[in-house]
Amino acid sequence: MSTNIPSLSETKKKDLILKIITYILSIGLSILILMPFIFLMREIFGDETYIQPGPGGTFEIVRVPRKTLMTFKEFLGLFNSWSFIPLKNSLIVSVTSTFLNIYFSALTAYALTAYKWKLREAFEKGIIIAMMIPTTVASLGFIQLTYKFGLINKLFILIIPALATPLTVFFMRMYLKATFSQEILEAARIDGAGEFRIFNQIMLPIMKPAIATQTIFCFVSSWSEVWVPSIILLDDNKKTLSIFNSAKVLAPPGGLELMMVIPPILVYVFCSKYIVEGVALGSVKN
Amino acid sequence: MGKVRSLERHYSKWGYIFVIPFVVVFLIFHFWPLGSTIYYAFCYLKHAGNTNPEFLPSIGQPWYKNFAEIFKSKSFWDALKNTLFFWIAQLIPEWIIAFWLAAVMTDRRAKIKGRAIFKFAFFFPKLVAGTALGGSLLVFMISFFASSVGITLAISEIDGFGLTPENMEFFTSVRFFIIIVSIFLHFGITFIYAIAGITGIPVESFEAAEIDGATRTQTFFRVTLPSMKPMLFFITVITVVDGLGMIEIPSYFGSFDTLRRNLTLMMYLENQAFMGSYAYDRAAAASLVLLFVYIVISGFVYFFLLYDKDESKAKKLQKEARRASAE
Repeated sequence: MSTNIPSLSETKKKDLILKIITYILSIGLSILILMPFIFLMREIFGDETYIQPGPGGTFEIVRVPRKTLMTFKEFLGLFNSWSFIPLKNSLIVSVTSTFLNIYFSALTAYALTAYKWKLREAFEKGIIIAMMIPTTVASLGFIQLTYKFGLINKLFILIIPALATPLTVFFMRMYLKATFSQEILEAARIDGAGEFRIFNQIMLPIMKPAIATQTIFCFVSSWSEVWVPSIILLDDNKKTLSIFNSAKVLAPPGGLELMMVIPPILVYVFCSKYIVEGVALGSVKN
Repeated sequence: MGKVRSLERHYSKWGYIFVIPFVVVFLIFHFWPLGSTIYYAFCYLKHAGNTNPEFLPSIGQPWYKNFAEIFKSKSFWDALKNTLFFWIAQLIPEWIIAFWLAAVMTDRRAKIKGRAIFKFAFFFPKLVAGTALGGSLLVFMISFFASSVGITLAISEIDGFGLTPENMEFFTSVRFFIIIVSIFLHFGITFIYAIAGITGIPVESFEAAEIDGATRTQTFFRVTLPSMKPMLFFITVITVVDGLGMIEIPSYFGSFDTLRRNLTLMMYLENQAFMGSYAYDRAAAASLVLLFVYIVISGFVYFFLLYDKDESKAKKLQKEARRASAE
């Protein structure tokens, strides 16, 4: 009998092996992933690297050494007034659309959780259906819409649609389901707070971890979006950074690439502080 | 009781007020474009900047003309096949790595340190995706994997496993690298959400499983996964949306893949709508097909994960009871 039950030291051994495998795997993966960043630095300051078609559908990597390494002064020269226009456009689009997305998704999720209205269940079902249909499917109709109303080169047309993102609403709702308490709401009501004030001053701080998580994802996806913006924004003064970066024809200078990389990293570093683990998020309540 | 109900009714109007902005914007900027895309699939709409769709039967054409055109073209079927192939080939290894790592890192007994650093590292490719860094990632991956594959090839030839370079062709092809890079770009998201889901499960459930003597594998499949069903659904939807809509990585290779062997549905759609003939109508028909694929897969996942059999049964019984009492 006793042979079937692993002894304490055996389990410990197993734990140790598991730990070692996990560390090796995750550290290896991390190195593999972070390595390209060094490559980017080399691309900015050292060799130029690009892929070239080879015979029969294969490819080869070509390295062209620069005559001289880019000096720091040259590098700073890339951040000129010309490259600040796309940076400004990108920041306007990403920051405002992320804000609208987060705030109104939280509001919608709160309306679904705190109030009992007739169409609530139907609305929630609708959100689930809508989140399964990505906006890319409707992008053709969206572009036609902008053509029809002459909204080409307008930044706000990229911002407003972010207000209604079913995916974020679903995530916020998942979080609120686990953390919302009717008692807090009633206590605030007794204190005479209006419904809108309750949401802004009590519920939003409660939702901080969910907001931080979604801010990262929304900002990153809006920051790196290329397809629809590149069709709608045709004026060079209105183009976003991601468009310049994706258009290889224009051969973006290394400074633009770095500009493209830094804001998402800053957002991640800032927001990850607020992601609190261990809150019942997305789990089934028994 | 009646007082509580009237109070609830008094507040319930705020539910409607709070969802108004969402509903208005959704209807104008998401629902209308979707509806018009469906309409365009049955229209004649070509040439750049044309905003005047003509309904096909009204100009004497059969209504299914656009669909017939895309179903006839070989590149459409290639695109459909490639999309599904890339998606599945990416999904399986990605989920195994992401969920395995998430489960071990959140294990209370294993006590793995440095989770925040790993999270950042795994999410890093997504942070810089869409930049040239994505390109450097590709270059790095290719040089790393190509050399290791080359070594494997050399060894297998020396040892005489009976393998010829033709057998290993897939591992040096563009397709293989598209899959590898997609996994690397995406698995951090799955990992972060999986950790969020697992840490949300009450500790008591794990303690109970531990006391009952469940192994780690048993705990993962019997306790962890069933308790994070909503999050699992969320992760699946993201994977489906990103995986089937993949365009950036294949098109990075696609610029020199003249045979278009790695065409995906989104690339096909883009090519139809914004290149050459500017055939918006055919692109609309293609996006309708894409929509159909999305709905089939996501609907299947929904019924598998979130559909509550007991609840719907109870509701049916309630309805019947109400009807019976009314009669």
